[in-house]
Amino acid sequence: MSRTERHRLSSLHDVELAGLAASGDRQAFGELVRRHGSAVRSLLRRMGVSAAEADDLAQDAFIAAFESIAEFRGEGAFGGWVKKIAARACIRRVQKDRQLRARLEAAELQEPAVLADPGRRMDLDEALKGLAEGERLCVSLCYGAGLSHAEAAEALNLPLGTVKSHVKRGLDRLKARLAPEGDTLEGRRGNG
Amino acid sequence: MAEMEVERAIERLFARTPEMADADAFAERVQRRLDRGWAARRVLIGSAGMVGGVIGASQLIMSNLFSRAEAASSESARVLTSGVRQLAPQAEWLLNGPAGIEAVWLVAGLAVVAMGLVLTRIIEEI
Repeated sequence: MSRTERHRLSSLHDVELAGLAASGDRQAFGELVRRHGSAVRSLLRRMGVSAAEADDLAQDAFIAAFESIAEFRGEGAFGGWVKKIAARACIRRVQKDRQLRARLEAAELQEPAVLADPGRRMDLDEALKGLAEGERLCVSLCYGAGLSHAEAAEALNLPLGTVKSHVKRGLDRLKARLAPEGDTLEGRRGNG
Repeated sequence: MAEMEVERAIERLFARTPEMADADAFAERVQRRLDRGWAARRVLIGSAGMVGGVIGASQLIMSNLFSRAEAASSESARVLTSGVRQLAPQAEWLLNGPAGIEAVWLVAGLAVVAMGLVLTRIIEEI
């Protein structure tokens, strides 16, 4: 792609790029991948997937998004739309792991990972690592991918109450870890 | 902090994602996969079209279609002329005019083309 063409594409809005992609312009779609790739990969890593697997899943999600780009009407953000596709693809992979599935269903029995220094203030990625698998997955789905509790329950094929329980406990633990000593989450910057 | 505020704060933290160092390389990998898929699709469609064309052409030659079409054409022209005469005696001027039956064929052809365009448009809209 020429520098001029790339400059032209980089000046377009996501909805315009999606329109071009819908007419078969793969370079326009490439610009969308450039803009939203990092966010999608980060979300998948936050859901508990390894970096390499997250990249594979993110690639598959973008290919699936290109195949169904005509369904994107620009009513919501393109990034949010792709994140949902990626999150659902991640869940499908999780469903194949029977042991993980059993742990997700056992909401009340889950114990979070032990932290070396529970009183230390940490960033979101670090704090998420301290959650139990189910909590981490449900919190990421609901607050990272923008799924409602009901949508997350349907996608995970779990009872709504189990998902709500995971989210509640996950949020409580995140709050404690992100702002451990009466500090607030407001004003936190530079989360990686 | 109220629960709602915690939720909003967590949402904001999730939304803040720094661009990864290999963001361009990742985008190129995706685009290469798209290009490969596109090329494979074109080869598949082209091959299918060629095979279909060869089969169609061979069927046309084998079935002696051209001589049948010629016979059918002259027969249908006769039927159409008599039909038009019965339906609309006022159309005499058209058939007996300088262009005659050629004009009827021309109009019919244009109608078929127009119908094709309309159908194409409808399919695109769907």
